[in-house]
Amino acid sequence: MSTPAIALEHLSKHFGPKRAVDDVSFSVQEGHCYGLIGPNGAGKTTTFSMMCGYLFPTTGSIRILGVDPFEPGALKGKVGVLPQDAILPPTWPVGALLTYFGQLSGLPNAEQEARRVLDKVQLPETWGLFANQLSHGMAKRVSMAQALMGSPPVIFLDEPTAGLDPKIAASVRQLIRELKGQHTVVVSSHNLQELEELCDATAILDKGKLVSAASMADLTGQMAEFRVQIAKGEVPLLEVKAQSGVKDARLEPNKVLCVTFDGQAVQPEEIITRVVGLLAQRDVLFLTVWRGKKLEEKVLQLT
Amino acid sequence: MTDLQEIGAVWRGETVRATRSGRVVVLLLLFMMFVGLALAVVGFFNKQINAKVEEQAKAAGVDLNDEKAKEQFSEGKKQFLSVFITDDEEMLDSLLTLPLVLLVVFKLTLRFVPLLVALMGFDQLAGEMGPKSIRFLIVRLKRNNLILGKFASQVTIFTALLFVCTLLMVLVARVLNDDFSAKEMAVWTLRLLISSFVLALAYLALTTLCSAIVKNGAVSLVLNIMILFGIWFVALIGEWYRLPGELAETGSLTSLIKDESVMAYARYLSVWHFGQDLLHPDWLRFVTAALMHLGYAAVFLGLAQLALKQRDL
Repeated sequence: MSTPAIALEHLSKHFGPKRAVDDVSFSVQEGHCYGLIGPNGAGKTTTFSMMCGYLFPTTGSIRILGVDPFEPGALKGKVGVLPQDAILPPTWPVGALLTYFGQLSGLPNAEQEARRVLDKVQLPETWGLFANQLSHGMAKRVSMAQALMGSPPVIFLDEPTAGLDPKIAASVRQLIRELKGQHTVVVSSHNLQELEELCDATAILDKGKLVSAASMADLTGQMAEFRVQIAKGEVPLLEVKAQSGVKDARLEPNKVLCVTFDGQAVQPEEIITRVVGLLAQRDVLFLTVWRGKKLEEKVLQLT
Repeated sequence: MTDLQEIGAVWRGETVRATRSGRVVVLLLLFMMFVGLALAVVGFFNKQINAKVEEQAKAAGVDLNDEKAKEQFSEGKKQFLSVFITDDEEMLDSLLTLPLVLLVVFKLTLRFVPLLVALMGFDQLAGEMGPKSIRFLIVRLKRNNLILGKFASQVTIFTALLFVCTLLMVLVARVLNDDFSAKEMAVWTLRLLISSFVLALAYLALTTLCSAIVKNGAVSLVLNIMILFGIWFVALIGEWYRLPGELAETGSLTSLIKDESVMAYARYLSVWHFGQDLLHPDWLRFVTAALMHLGYAAVFLGLAQLALKQRDL
């Protein structure tokens, strides 16, 4: 496995007696979209802030692209950040502000880059507006635009869609989707559906501790189980269990058939097709089939 | 991008932002109003005193243009200055060439400078830490460079304010004093500008330090003003113990060790103490005072850098 883009080792942050983050370790592979999940007070933003070099860890270490983010100027040009609760300086016009940020990042054509990223977040019309004239959603997207300036290899997005209307949130999600592969993206969010859709891997935090760090497929059991929403008919459970590769089959509440299989021995598409075919032969009507568990269920189970 | 380029980028950005904001205009107006008011009050009294002197001279049949009368007048002015400004003979001789109105207003203005500096820059960093907008900056540049860039921007703006106000003072003094020659005007403008600039540097750095220590702009301002009072108080204590009455008694045991109270040395802890010599005609005294101000500025800036470097943002 190649060197991770981001590596956290035994990271802790204490605020007086409170342990906001307690011995957290995980790594993010280059080009991955990585989610930070957890309930309020879980330590997501604190972890996020330490990765961005805002907060000093009490113990432990962080490497971003092999460098310590607390070394002066270490993150310059390497990292773009959308901080969750940072307010854009109100007395700057948006265009001038982004150009200023570009100049600070040492971009050769800061103004052109500022216009490019504003186009990217679909807000070119805000160029001349003052930051305090922007709505919450607009300010969020301008903040997102500054994170994209100079196409940094690592992008941190803290709650990128919080408070946005569904249409704008969808466009932001699309933007994140486009970043995947070319950039390493870390997204912190309460929107689990969004993270499930966007992320390759995720870390789940609860009360400052890491409760799980795994690929999304492993976390949601996509390679180990699938579910079928039954509409009508008697499920032949014994026959399903008898299928090769199937480890277990059971009926969950609301007429959901849950099938656990050996992901190493059989491909998901093969086993799903066989079981669904069997159900159809036995006149069992079904509505939908989905792989694994919903992320939400897994998170609720873990936290 | 070198450190210098980073500092330059912050300086440019912050200076443009400051000139756009209303605060600089308000401060300029405030400063000018203060200078204007001081000029009017001092100018009025100056005029009254001159009229009185002329009246008395006329009654006594003395010609004020007479060399002896001029000398007496000059001696009177010197005595006045020795009470209110300094007892340093060399300095007094130098200040005699400066119109009284200009000297008094300038001295008053210098008192006002630290407060004006505090009002101008109290939230340069604290104002970015509270709403966390500093987070947009520190992923892009070194924390040290951010401080230096902001400090340089404050220095630039304040120098412009000083320039305008000093020029105003000198011009008014010229109007009120016919014998204030163009050459003297040019020399004194330069000296007043340099001395007020050097003096302001230390206080600008102090304001940067206060703004780097706390996250709240209002708290930073209060802290700044409290430290200013501290600086003035320590200087005052030092001066107080320098008074002859406080000297150790001649021939006493203490006088073998020291000739003034230990408390008098407290004045060296206060940057304010060195401000007096910034107008001193002796270059050595001037350079020492200027270096002390620069030293204090460097210490304040160093502490500000240390504070920002160590803190969570």
